[in-house]
Amino acid sequence: MREFAYKYLRHLPVVVFVGGLLAVGWWLLYNPWTALGPSLPGADGYTGSESDAGEMIAIGAHFEEMRPAVSAGIESWPRFRGEHFDNIYHNRVPLIDDFSQGGTEILWSVELGEGHAGPAIFEGLVYLLDYDEEQRADMLRVFSLETGEEQWRRWYNVHIRRNHGMSRTVPAISDEFILTIGPRGHVMCVDRLTGDLLWGIDLEREWNAEIPLWYTGQCPLLDDGVAVIAPGGDALMIGVDAATGDILWEVPNPNGWEMSHSSIIPFTYEGIKMYVYSAVGGAVGVAAGGPQAGEVLWEVPEWNHRVLAASPVCLPDGRIFLTAGYGAGSMMLQLHNRNGTIEPEILSTFRPGEGLSSEQQTPVYVDGHLFGVLPKDARAYRNQFVCADPDEITSFVWTSGSTARFGLGPFILADDKFYLLDDDGTLHIIEKNLRAFRLLDSKRLIEDGHDAWAPLAIADGYMLLRDDQTMICIDLKR
Amino acid sequence: MERKKTKSRREFIISSMRFGMVLSLGGVGGLAFRNSTKEQWVWQIDPFKCSWCGRCATHCVLNPSAVKCVHAYELCGYCDLCGGYLIPGHSARSTAAENQLCPTAAIERKFIEEPYYEYKINEDLCIGCAKCAEGCSAFGNGSLHLQVMHHLCVNCNECAIARACPSDAISRVKASGPYLMKGDFTSDGGET
Repeated sequence: MREFAYKYLRHLPVVVFVGGLLAVGWWLLYNPWTALGPSLPGADGYTGSESDAGEMIAIGAHFEEMRPAVSAGIESWPRFRGEHFDNIYHNRVPLIDDFSQGGTEILWSVELGEGHAGPAIFEGLVYLLDYDEEQRADMLRVFSLETGEEQWRRWYNVHIRRNHGMSRTVPAISDEFILTIGPRGHVMCVDRLTGDLLWGIDLEREWNAEIPLWYTGQCPLLDDGVAVIAPGGDALMIGVDAATGDILWEVPNPNGWEMSHSSIIPFTYEGIKMYVYSAVGGAVGVAAGGPQAGEVLWEVPEWNHRVLAASPVCLPDGRIFLTAGYGAGSMMLQLHNRNGTIEPEILSTFRPGEGLSSEQQTPVYVDGHLFGVLPKDARAYRNQFVCADPDEITSFVWTSGSTARFGLGPFILADDKFYLLDDDGTLHIIEKNLRAFRLLDSKRLIEDGHDAWAPLAIADGYMLLRDDQTMICIDLKR
Repeated sequence: MERKKTKSRREFIISSMRFGMVLSLGGVGGLAFRNSTKEQWVWQIDPFKCSWCGRCATHCVLNPSAVKCVHAYELCGYCDLCGGYLIPGHSARSTAAENQLCPTAAIERKFIEEPYYEYKINEDLCIGCAKCAEGCSAFGNGSLHLQVMHHLCVNCNECAIARACPSDAISRVKASGPYLMKGDFTSDGGET
């Protein structure tokens, strides 16, 4: 036994030592991460944008008249959010409270190119910047509000790739002019009465504008004969003479802020008129009119989000409510007039679900309260219609509850009722109520409706609604 | 006249035991037959109830979890800006690590054509944390969602995740239809 132990075990220390040495060597040399690699840009095979920015587009080159335009209406909804930028129909025409009183008959409908462009109405005529998929053209189409008959169209050929819809904006109409912005930033100004082309601007080519994801959503502004556009790129904002196309003023853009889907909203605070805009990079107030026109009055770079669709809501006391979807949430500003100098103060900033916010539609301010549809990322409150007191913006006066959700719901306030369109083409009638949510009635008006996100328009009691393919007209008069 | 033979006590006990054994054998066989032919049940997640709390990743008895993300391609928008792939506040819409929401880079993004991208789940890397499903539901169509993968699940008598699920999204479903994929059924239980 002793011999056996001596024979075999005497080498044991050497074996253990060599084994230990090998183990340490393996431990030092073994790399458990060899199977892993870094995540680097370009792994998706994307080889760069096929930009069409250099392409010369003959804006407004084509015109066709179907029949002489006959105006039969009195009222107008002349631009995005209506005449007063508040999304409220101020006429006191009694409108239906529920669908037993009417509103279910489709007076006329028209098939459109895929998109979310909303109509404007001016004295009996409907103006829409459609995208004609067959002709591959941004097409300004004019219809009779009463019959839906197309009166004339003006268009230009431009290639738009399908990207969750193509058209997105609402034209601006005045007595003399029609102003449009196409998906790729082509601004077109047309004589309203004759349809003649007045001028065009290619924001991408002429102002180095960066067209936002899913194309341009900024609705143009016509203000006292001046076309006000926010290109981003070389200029944060420009004022263009609507009659001639001459550039009247431009706002420098030293910080390289970009165009958003948000639209410019005029606002007068303590006698100072300004254009309020929510750009990708920050919020800004630009002097409107007078010798100061085009001067930056204030800016808030803290309001910086990649996807901004809702427009600023300006309250009479100088507060400005800013909101965005995709995780951004909202911000409440207070403007202060200090001896003629406007200074903004950030009152509150909060995430979605912690207060009023919106992904796409701009809230409505009425009777000292804000009404809106919450975004999908508002957690338990997602897609609910809510009422909020601006003084306590991080809480709700009421919500529509978990059984009443409304997608990305465009809505209008008319005759003290909210008319709210769900994604699937269902129109809901909700009482304007500062104490509780009260749904009056609902009716699906667009068969197989899908992505009904375009802003609504109403005039002479007729309401225009659309989903991504079809626009319909209904009569809401009682 | 032959007198009727009476059973002894021993014979009675033996025959009773024989009868009892045959009866129990038949019972066991019957139960075995019934068990072998009756419908089996497995655990599954109702994606319309799921609230993306992340407990599927941490409460499964398996590590990594038997819950994985799946993709309903017919619902997907093939977005460039994918809320399930990109972290909120991303610096660029690219595959760089700092832009990815998934903690294990389990989602593969592939350029199809301007402006569309396809997103595939690498099941080996997925830990079922639901971050992508939450992002997709918050900003997109909700095509990314969680399912219990039955080639991994050990089908515990009492599922540890089901016990921890705050929204009662996990329940037993018939093994003949073990998945509740979005696109195959609707939130009210109807078939698409």
